[in-house]
Amino acid sequence: MDAAEVEFLAEKELVTIIPNFSLDKIYLIGGDLGPFNPGLPVEVPLWLAINLKQRQKCRLLPPEWMDVEKLEKIRDHERKEETFTPMPSPYYMELTKLLLNHASDNIPKADEIRTLVKDMWDTRIAKLRVSADSFVRQQEAHAKLDNLTLMEINTSGTFLTQALNHMYKLRTNLQPSESTQSQDF
Amino acid sequence: MSEAYFRVESGALGPEENSLSLDDTLMSHEKLPVRTETAMPRLGAFFLERTADTDNAVPRGSKLELPSWLAKGLFDNKRRILSVELPKIYQEGWRTVFSADADMVDLHKMGPHFYGFGSQLLHFDSPENADISQSLLQTFIGLNIATLLHRRSLTIC
Repeated sequence: MDAAEVEFLAEKELVTIIPNFSLDKIYLIGGDLGPFNPGLPVEVPLWLAINLKQRQKCRLLPPEWMDVEKLEKIRDHERKEETFTPMPSPYYMELTKLLLNHASDNIPKADEIRTLVKDMWDTRIAKLRVSADSFVRQQEAHAKLDNLTLMEINTSGTFLTQALNHMYKLRTNLQPSESTQSQDF
Repeated sequence: MSEAYFRVESGALGPEENSLSLDDTLMSHEKLPVRTETAMPRLGAFFLERTADTDNAVPRGSKLELPSWLAKGLFDNKRRILSVELPKIYQEGWRTVFSADADMVDLHKMGPHFYGFGSQLLHFDSPENADISQSLLQTFIGLNIATLLHRRSLTIC
């Protein structure tokens, strides 16, 4: 899975917007949206919110976890703990990136939020690397990692499974395989 | 619309290499030091500087370097034709170096197919087979997975 696919899945998350147009309720395959009235907040999926914002038809409201004090608390909690702590949203990285790229004027203290989220991301990725390293070094059979988001798993997943495959094949060489000798010439 | 070319995975780490895999073919070109147990007629044509016989035979007991595909084909359990010696990096001295610190050695320079070639070496029934396979595994584990992951990770923000 590459990063673009994970971002695509993240765009299904709901965010609140304030439209400046009016539209009756629309019926999509995934669900119903609307009705849209100017000045009244409504919840829509992220893909629609970004699209409307780009066409200047709405104003985006930041999610309630996208606030400097709350993110600071989460970041400090993440740094203290050795395991992974629960994140405010399973797609926190993608939401932050998309909202801050397209709607930073609607989000207060956008730069600080960007730095805080990047700190959280770096801490978690470092923990993931250390964990993968000790997994291979000690040849453990089973690892359990809670509270990881899909984007984080995606960065190291393919490489880790290939490394583990390699290790498995080398390990089976330890048992001599006299029974599978090839045919005589 | 199907693709024209499907890459065949290397089987070198497993019991047998894949004859269709390009990686395995390149790997089997690596040379193995070998001692002949019997005279080989006409093989001396490739080693003209060493033999002076009229029919270009390689005498018994001479040391040669053969690519591993040739050595494997000629090797026989009753050892009538060849006896294979281990290349330097799979021997005792280098094995201790690897167990001490695998990070410092440039494996690629030692021979680009360290693991695959080493796994195929186990077929030659050397008395040190158990140690070789253990050393291959330990070297791999000793790789610093953390730094490798870092180089491959994407920064999104």
